[in-house]
Amino acid sequence: MIFGLTFPEAAVIGLLFAAIQFGAMIYLASLGEMIAERAGVLNLGVEGMMAMGAVGGFVFAIETGNPWLGLLAAAVIGGAVAMIHGLFAVVLGANQVVSGLALTIFGVGLANFWGTDYEGLRPEVQFVDVDWGPLSDISWIGRILFQQSPLAYSAVLLGCLTWFVLNRTRGGLALRAAGESAATADAAGHSVLGLRLFAVAIGGAFAGIGGAYLSLSISPGWTVGVVAGRGWIAVALVIFGAWKVRRVALGAFLFGLAMALPNRTESFDLPWDPILWSMLPYILTIAVMIAGALVLRNRPPPAPAALGLPFRREER
Amino acid sequence: MIRPVLVRREVPVRGGQPLAFAVGLLVALLLGAVLLLVAGDSPMEVYRRMLSASFGDLEAFSVTLNRAIPLALAGLAVAIAATMGLWNIGAEGQILFGATTAAGIAQIGEGWSGPVLILAMIVGGSIGGALWALGPAAAKAYIGVNEIITTLMLNEIAVRLIRYLINGPWKDPEGYGFVQAPALPEQSFLPNLFQRTHIGLLIAIAVLAVIGLMVSRSSWGYELRVAGSSGATAAYAGISLKRKILTVLVLSGAVAGLAGGIELTGNATRLTETVSNGYGFAGIIVAALALMRPSGVAAVAVLFGAVQVGGQSIKAIGVSDAVSTVLQALILFGVIAAGVLIVYRIEMAEPKVRST
Repeated sequence: MIFGLTFPEAAVIGLLFAAIQFGAMIYLASLGEMIAERAGVLNLGVEGMMAMGAVGGFVFAIETGNPWLGLLAAAVIGGAVAMIHGLFAVVLGANQVVSGLALTIFGVGLANFWGTDYEGLRPEVQFVDVDWGPLSDISWIGRILFQQSPLAYSAVLLGCLTWFVLNRTRGGLALRAAGESAATADAAGHSVLGLRLFAVAIGGAFAGIGGAYLSLSISPGWTVGVVAGRGWIAVALVIFGAWKVRRVALGAFLFGLAMALPNRTESFDLPWDPILWSMLPYILTIAVMIAGALVLRNRPPPAPAALGLPFRREER
Repeated sequence: MIRPVLVRREVPVRGGQPLAFAVGLLVALLLGAVLLLVAGDSPMEVYRRMLSASFGDLEAFSVTLNRAIPLALAGLAVAIAATMGLWNIGAEGQILFGATTAAGIAQIGEGWSGPVLILAMIVGGSIGGALWALGPAAAKAYIGVNEIITTLMLNEIAVRLIRYLINGPWKDPEGYGFVQAPALPEQSFLPNLFQRTHIGLLIAIAVLAVIGLMVSRSSWGYELRVAGSSGATAAYAGISLKRKILTVLVLSGAVAGLAGGIELTGNATRLTETVSNGYGFAGIIVAALALMRPSGVAAVAVLFGAVQVGGQSIKAIGVSDAVSTVLQALILFGVIAAGVLIVYRIEMAEPKVRST
C-alpha cells in the first residue's frame, strides 16, 4: 500500500495494458497532426477525421469481413476528408482555424449520419491481439507489451518511420522547410502547396487509423460520440510534445494512462465517482498546457515558424 | 503541365459578401442533396420538409426563432473573442456551466416568485459562463496558454460535471429510478412572447445590440480591434493587452453562459447534459459566417436555427438529423470558397521557368 491506495497486480497490469492501447491510438492521431503542423498547416479537424475513420473503418470491416480492409478504408477516408482542409486552408488560403473547426463539425456530423444504420451492431470482425509466442508469456511485460492489437505495433512502426522521414530524408527536410519558411522552400524549388497537401493527407490518414483503432479494437462497434474529444487531446499532445516524434510518444503514454484509469477506479479502490475520474484526461491536458507555458515562458516557442500562415507565391 | 493558380483580382467582384453567402448556401444545398441521394433519400422531400418545419407558418417560424436565440448568443460570444484575434471554442462548456449554475439557483430559490427566480437564473447563468471562461482567460493573458485547447477541454469537463451532478448530488429523488435532475419549478419558465417564441428573444436582441455597439462604436471596442490586428501596435499605444484578453474572454464566456441560463429557463424542464445541444460549436460557424461581426450574427443565427429545426423535422421520414450538422458545415465551406473566389480568380497557367 502506498498513500493508502492498493495496487492489485491484475489491476496494474490491466491499467498499463490499456494505457498503451489508448496511448497508441492517440499517438497515431497526434503523429498525423504533427506531420501537418511541421509542414505549416494547423488542422483542427482531427476530431472529425477520427470520427470518419472510426465509422468508415467499422463499416468497411463489416461489409468486407476483414478488419485490415476496414483499416485501409479508414486511412483512405481520413486522408480524403483531410483534403477538404487541404483545399480550403492550403490551396485557397482560408483561415486554418475556421477551416479546421468546420472540418471537425462536418466530419462528426457526416460520421453520425453514415453510422445511423450501424449503431449498436455487434461487430463480427475486429483485430485480434498479436501473439508473440514466448515473449507474450513473460509475466507482466508479456501481457502489457506483447499481447497488444496489431494497431499498437503499427503505431510504433509509423512513429519510427515518421521520425526517419522527417529527420533523415530530403523529402522530410523539404516538408519541414515548408513549415518553417515557406518562401525559402519555394525558392529552393520545392512545391510548398504540394508538400503541405501531402502532409495534410498523411495527417488525415493517421487520424483515420486512430479512429479505426477505437471502432475495431478498443471498443468494437460504432456509437455516436465514440471519439469523445480525443481528437482534441491529440492536437494538444502535439504542443505538449513540442512537435517532436519522441516527446509526443511520451505524452501519448501519459494521456493513455489518464484515459485508461477512469474505467478502473473500482479495482484500485479509488475515492470519488468514476464520472469525476473521467475528467482526468481533459484536466491533465489543461494542466500540461499551463505547465508547458510556464516552463517555456522565456524561451522561443518550439512551434514551426510558418504554422498557420497560408502561402501564396505572388504575395511572398 | 498546365495547372490552376489563384490570381488576385484587380477589383473584387461586386456585391462581394452577400453574393458569396448566396453562392455558398446554394453549393451547400447541392452537396447536401448529393449526400442525401447517395444515402437513398429524396433531397426534394427532405428540403421541402425542412423548409416548411422552419419557415412554413408563424408557429414554425417562432420555433426557428427560439433556436436562433442560443445560436446568436453563442455566435456573439465567439465573435467578441475573435475581434481580438482570440478563439473561444468553449462556448459549449460555458453554456453548459451557465445552465448548471442556473439549475443550482433554481434549487435554492424554489419558493421565490417567478420574475425574481428567472432573473436570478439568467444572471446566474451569465456569471457561470464567465467563471467557466475565467481560467482559460487568465492562462492566456498572463502566461500565454493557447486558449483554443483550454476552452475546448473545459467543454468535455462541463459535460461530465453535469453527468456527475445528475447521477449523484442532484439526482431527482422523485425520478422513480430514472437518472435525471429534478424538474425545474414551474415559475422559472420564461413566458412566451408570441406563439412558441419566448422572451429570451428580447434579451438576445438587446445583448446583441449593446455589445455590437460597444465593439463598433466605443473606444473600448476600437482598442479591441487594434489589439486584434496588431498586438505590437496596441502595446505601443498603451493598451494593456493582458487586461484586454482577460476581459474579452470573460465577457465572451458571460454571453455564452447567458445563453445557457436562457435555454434552461426558456426551453428545458430540467438540467440535462444535452441542454446546450451543440449550440456552442454551431456558434463558431455562425460567427465565422457573420465575418466575426456582431451585426451579422443575428441573421446567420436565424438561418442556422431554421436548418436545425428543419433537421429535427426530417427524423419523421427516417432521415438522420445529423444531416443538419453536415449542412451547417457545408454552408461554411461553401461561403469560404465563394469568399476566396470573390477576391481571387482561377487561371490556368504554365509553371514559371525558374533558373536554379
